[in-house]
Amino acid sequence: MDVFNSFYGLIPVTIAQSLIVSFVVLGVMLPFRILNFPDLTSEGAFPLGGCVCGTLITAGVNPFLACFVALLCGFAAGCTTAFIHLRFRINTLLAGILVMTMLYSINLRIMGRTNIPLFTYDTVFTILAGPSANFPWTKILIVGLLVALVLGAMLYFFMSEKGTAMRAVGASPDMAEAQGIDVGTATIIGVGVASALSATGGSIMVQTQGFADVNMGFGILINGLAALIIGEAITGRQTILRQVLAPVIGSLVYYQLISFCLTLGLAPADLKFATGAFVLLMLALPNLRRSGGGVQIREKIRE
Amino acid sequence: MTTDMLSVKGGTKIFYRGTLDERRALDGLDVALKPGDFCIVIGSNGAGKSSFLNAVSGKLPLDSGRISIDGQDVTRLNAHRRAQFIARVFQDPMIGTAPTMTIGENMLLAELRGKPRSFSYGLTAARRARYSEQLAELNLGLEKRLDMQVGLLSGGQRQSLSLVMAVSTRPKLLLLDEHTAALDPRTAKLVMDTTVRAVEALQLTTLMVTHNMEHAIKYGNRIIMMDAGKVLVEIGQEEKNGITVADLVERFHTKSDAIALQGA
Repeated sequence: MDVFNSFYGLIPVTIAQSLIVSFVVLGVMLPFRILNFPDLTSEGAFPLGGCVCGTLITAGVNPFLACFVALLCGFAAGCTTAFIHLRFRINTLLAGILVMTMLYSINLRIMGRTNIPLFTYDTVFTILAGPSANFPWTKILIVGLLVALVLGAMLYFFMSEKGTAMRAVGASPDMAEAQGIDVGTATIIGVGVASALSATGGSIMVQTQGFADVNMGFGILINGLAALIIGEAITGRQTILRQVLAPVIGSLVYYQLISFCLTLGLAPADLKFATGAFVLLMLALPNLRRSGGGVQIREKIRE
Repeated sequence: MTTDMLSVKGGTKIFYRGTLDERRALDGLDVALKPGDFCIVIGSNGAGKSSFLNAVSGKLPLDSGRISIDGQDVTRLNAHRRAQFIARVFQDPMIGTAPTMTIGENMLLAELRGKPRSFSYGLTAARRARYSEQLAELNLGLEKRLDMQVGLLSGGQRQSLSLVMAVSTRPKLLLLDEHTAALDPRTAKLVMDTTVRAVEALQLTTLMVTHNMEHAIKYGNRIIMMDAGKVLVEIGQEEKNGITVADLVERFHTKSDAIALQGA
């Protein structure tokens, strides 16, 4: 029973964390599922948001403004990845790796050191909630409202005339072009918004954990992917509502699972392996079920 | 004299220029279409038919030559900007529609082709009613399935939808790229009949590429035979009446033999 008690006690903290990470999961979903642009920039945009926000807060900038600047920096990072892919015809994944790698140096330059503590500074949470800022339920309420706002905005956008056009770019680029949609611009903006979401997640994360660190993004992308896959298994992908809800629901479930595994005694060191194995399994399942799947895969690679 | 709806002058496109693999896809192509012309393009594989359509749609930028639509020079406009004048139905039913989006959303994408798109809600009740009306003319029951994903439709249904999407905006130019080639004979006929009805009702200027000689004779008011990136034979309205497949094939061979002899 001890295990369950400690797991139970961790639930609010885990919810708060998963709500923050759900920004990153949304940032992973958008390029992957809406734009058909497998993107890794999140891995660099998340710490970028954290480092920019942390540095600005310690410099005395208003935390809300700091978050906004972090968001803009993330947007620029995503646009860069998409631009590299479109302009130089470099594979999307490689373009993402390039930007992510270069961002590591940029993040270090921005902070000037590897870690900035923020415990003594005002954050959006202390401004909004005062002394109760550190309670998990306060964070859940504030971040939850923000997530709901972002979800609503995304849902509305993807059902608008412009948003429908952006979805067409991922669904069939040839068709989109023939309907007069500027595929390049839509891709750049879409991937930019995705990275802006990841950076926003990073900027909120540093304010809840009380420090910014250059290594804070390590493995966030695989976590986001795992959460997305779980979410889609629950909600499905048939409608845009389900597709937009999947990241948040997936994130909420995924982090509870992780927390449960940890309280059961899974060594934290094994966590990334377990997550990677899980993602691999989920991606491999459809091909394992089909007989002769191996041959098809080889043909796919040749294309 | 009226302005030509489509005019291509000296259209040239050379792939792998200056190498051993140099290939002239379009070689000084001259074509002019009057408003309301329904022009059939035929020719063997590699004659330049697809390059011609791609050059007109903007997918394939010309090396030299000029293209204008309804008097406006579009040579320098890229494909998505030319979409305000041009609608296209592709050979592959998978390309012409967005499979993971609904029928209604696909209709919306087509309605706003080449127009500014706003942040306002897309599939309004008024639009849904209009789309249902347009789709009902197909008699495929698509009007009751506006919220169905297009990927779930058969190839014929998708191609019919593609066609409605293309003609519903009354484009200045309609490009049909072997759009019935991937369908079974019965469905192909259905889509072809729908095509002819729409083209005639709306007086659309149309370019249709086909490998089907019967279609070439039966439909349209002009035939262009292409070879080696140029127009080899042009058959106008009067000549076209009463022409047979055998005549067409003979005209093609006589002309290309004559050119071969000239070259020798």
